[in-house]
Amino acid sequence: MAKHRNSGWWIALAACCVVSVCALLVGASTPATTIKIALQAPITGDYAYEGQMAKQSVEVAAELINKAGGVLGKKIEIVVIDDASNPKDSALAAQKAVSQKVVAVIGSYGSSVTEPAADIYERNKLVSVGYGCTAVRLTMDKERKYFFRTCGRDDAQGLFFGKYAVETMGAKRIAIMHDNSTFAKGVADEAKKALEPYIAAGKTQIVYFDAITPKEKDFSAVVTKLRETKPDVWYFTGYYPEAGLLIRQARDAGLSCPFVGGNAAINNDFVKIAGLDVAKGAMMTQEPLVTDVTTDIAKQFKSLYMEKYKELPSSPWPVYAADALYAIAGAITKAGKTDSAAIADALRTKMAGVQGVTGPILFTERGDRKDVPYKMYVVDSQGALKVKQ
Amino acid sequence: MTILQEQIINGLTIGSFYALVALGYSMVYGVMKLINFAHGDLFSLGAFLGYTVLTGTSGVVTRMFGLWGGIACTALVVGLSVAIAGILMERIAYRPVYPSGRLSLVVSALGMSIFIQNAIMAIWGARPQAFAAAVVPSTRLTVLGIPVTVLQIIILAVSFLLMAAIWFIVEKTAFGASIRAAALDRETATLVGIDVRKVIFFVFALGPGLGGIAGLMNGLYYRSITFNMGWNYGLKAFTATILGGIGNIPGAMLGGLLLGIFESLLAGYVSGAWKDVFVFLILILTLIFRPTGILGEKTAEKV
Repeated sequence: MAKHRNSGWWIALAACCVVSVCALLVGASTPATTIKIALQAPITGDYAYEGQMAKQSVEVAAELINKAGGVLGKKIEIVVIDDASNPKDSALAAQKAVSQKVVAVIGSYGSSVTEPAADIYERNKLVSVGYGCTAVRLTMDKERKYFFRTCGRDDAQGLFFGKYAVETMGAKRIAIMHDNSTFAKGVADEAKKALEPYIAAGKTQIVYFDAITPKEKDFSAVVTKLRETKPDVWYFTGYYPEAGLLIRQARDAGLSCPFVGGNAAINNDFVKIAGLDVAKGAMMTQEPLVTDVTTDIAKQFKSLYMEKYKELPSSPWPVYAADALYAIAGAITKAGKTDSAAIADALRTKMAGVQGVTGPILFTERGDRKDVPYKMYVVDSQGALKVKQ
Repeated sequence: MTILQEQIINGLTIGSFYALVALGYSMVYGVMKLINFAHGDLFSLGAFLGYTVLTGTSGVVTRMFGLWGGIACTALVVGLSVAIAGILMERIAYRPVYPSGRLSLVVSALGMSIFIQNAIMAIWGARPQAFAAAVVPSTRLTVLGIPVTVLQIIILAVSFLLMAAIWFIVEKTAFGASIRAAALDRETATLVGIDVRKVIFFVFALGPGLGGIAGLMNGLYYRSITFNMGWNYGLKAFTATILGGIGNIPGAMLGGLLLGIFESLLAGYVSGAWKDVFVFLILILTLIFRPTGILGEKTAEKV
C-alpha cells in the first residue's frame, strides 16, 4: 500500500513539473514586452567622456519616446555596451550586442572603432546606426546593407573649411594639422583636397601639413616649427584634449594666427584646458550644436536632459546618438516590424516625416545622412560657442 | 635666439618629466627586478591629488600660503600621499606574489596600472580636468633672449634638485650602500645583515613620491590632466630608462633628458607624425646593440 501511495505522489510531482515547464515555454514564446536596442559607445577609454554623454542622450531620447507611447506599442529598452574607444574592444562589443539579440544598434563614436563592429553587424544582419564616425570610406569603400550614420561626412567638413578659409578669410598661407587618427586625418585630407583648385589658381598655398601624437601634453616643438611657416590660418582636425594644449602652447610660443578646429576640437573642456584668455576667438567647423536647434523634439530633449544632468552635452556627437535612436524607432514604426531587413529598407526609403533632435532624418542609398549642414562657430568672450556671423 | 636653442629648451622641459618618472622605474627595477608598469599611473594620481588640493578646495591653500607657498604645501601633501600609495601597492600587489617569480610580478603590475587608472576615472571622472588659472603662476621672463615661464625654470630646478638628492642618497650614504647591496644580490645582502624589507619600503616610498610630485608639476605646467595621462609618460620613461641603462640612477636622468631633446628635435626638424616611430626605434636599437644602455656596464651596480 505504502508503495502505491508513493508512486501516486511521484506521478503528481511529475505532472506538476510538466505543467510548469510548459508554462515556462509558453511564457518564453510570448513576444517580449520591450524592444531592445543596443548603444555601443566608448563608456571607458580615451573618449569615455563622449561615450558617457552619448549614453545620457540616448537614455533621454528613449524616455521621451517611451513617454509618447513607445514603438509598436512597446517600450524601448537600451542596452549599453562599452567599446572602450578602441577597435579591438569594439569587435567584442559587437559580438556581445549580437548575442544579446537586440533589434538594432546605435554606434559607435570613432570611425576606426566603428569599422570592425560594422562588419560584424553586417555579417549578422543587424542594423547599426553610427553617430560620430565620419570617415568617408565607411560608406564609400564597401557597400554595407545594414550600416547607417546620423552624422555628416569628413569630405563635407573639409570642403566647408577650404571654401571658408580662402573665400571668407582670404588666407594665403594655410596650415593643416591632424593627429593620425582615422577621423582627424580624414578631415585633413579632405580639406587639402578641397584646397587644390584654389592652389592651382594661385590663390593660396598649404605651408604646413603634419600630424601630432595624441595623448601627449607637450607640443612646444611642433608649434615652434609651425610658427616658422608663418601661416594665416591654422586648421587642427583632431580632438579637444590636444586642441586645448596646442592653442595655448602656440600662443606661448608667439604664434598668433586664427585657430580653426574641426568638429571634435572644441567643447567646454577645450576652453577649460586652453584658458578663456587663449580660447576666446577660436573657431570651429561643425554641424549645428544642440543649443542652436529649435525643433520641438529638441526642446523636449533639452529640457529633460537639463533636468536630469544639469548641463547640455558640450559636443554635437551625443545628440547624433539620440538622432540614431529616433531614426531606428521611426524606421521600426514605418516598417511595422522589428525584422532587420525591413528596418534597413525603411531607413533607406520610408523615412519621410521622421524627426530627430536635429531635424528630419533621411538617408542616402549608401546609408549616409542627407543634408547635414556645417557652420563656422567661434568661442565668445564668455567661453560659449556661438555661430560666427 | 635660434630655433635650435628654443627646441632644446622645449626638449629639456619634456625630458625632465621623463627623467623624474624614469628614476622611480629604475630604483624599483634595481631592487625588485620588476618593471613597475603602475608607476605612470602613480604619476597621474599625483596630478589628480594636486588638482584636488589646489583647485578642488576652491583655492583655500593658495589663499592661506600664497601662490608659491600653496604649491610647495601641495607638493608636500602629494609627495607623501603618493608615497603611501606606493608602499600600499607593494604590500598588496607585489609582496604576496614575489615568491612566484617575475612573470607574476609583471602581471600584477599591469593589473595595478589598470586598477589605479580606472579608480582615478571613477573618482574624478572621464573628462579632462584643468588647474584653475588662479593657482598657477604665469610670470614670463626672457633669459638670454629665450622666452621662458617662471614655472618652467622652477620645474627644471626642482627636477635637478630631486635627482641630485637621490643620487646623493644612493651613492654617498650608508643607507644608499644597503640599497645598492640589495640591488646587487638580495640574498647575500640579507646574509650580511641588511634589512632588505626596509630597503624595499624606502624604494617604494621614494620612487612613487617623486613620480607624484612630477605629476603635480606636469599638471601645473600643462594645466590639463586626464585619467590616462600616466600611460604615455610611463612608456616614454621606460624607454628613457632602457636608453640610459636600466637600474642606473644617473642613467635614468640622462636617458630622460636625452629622450626629451631628441623628441623635440625630431618634431621640430623631421615630422611630428614620425616622431614616435624614431623614438621607439631608438628603444629597439638600444636593446639590440647596447642592452645595458648608455651608462650601464655589465658590472654596473643595479640600483
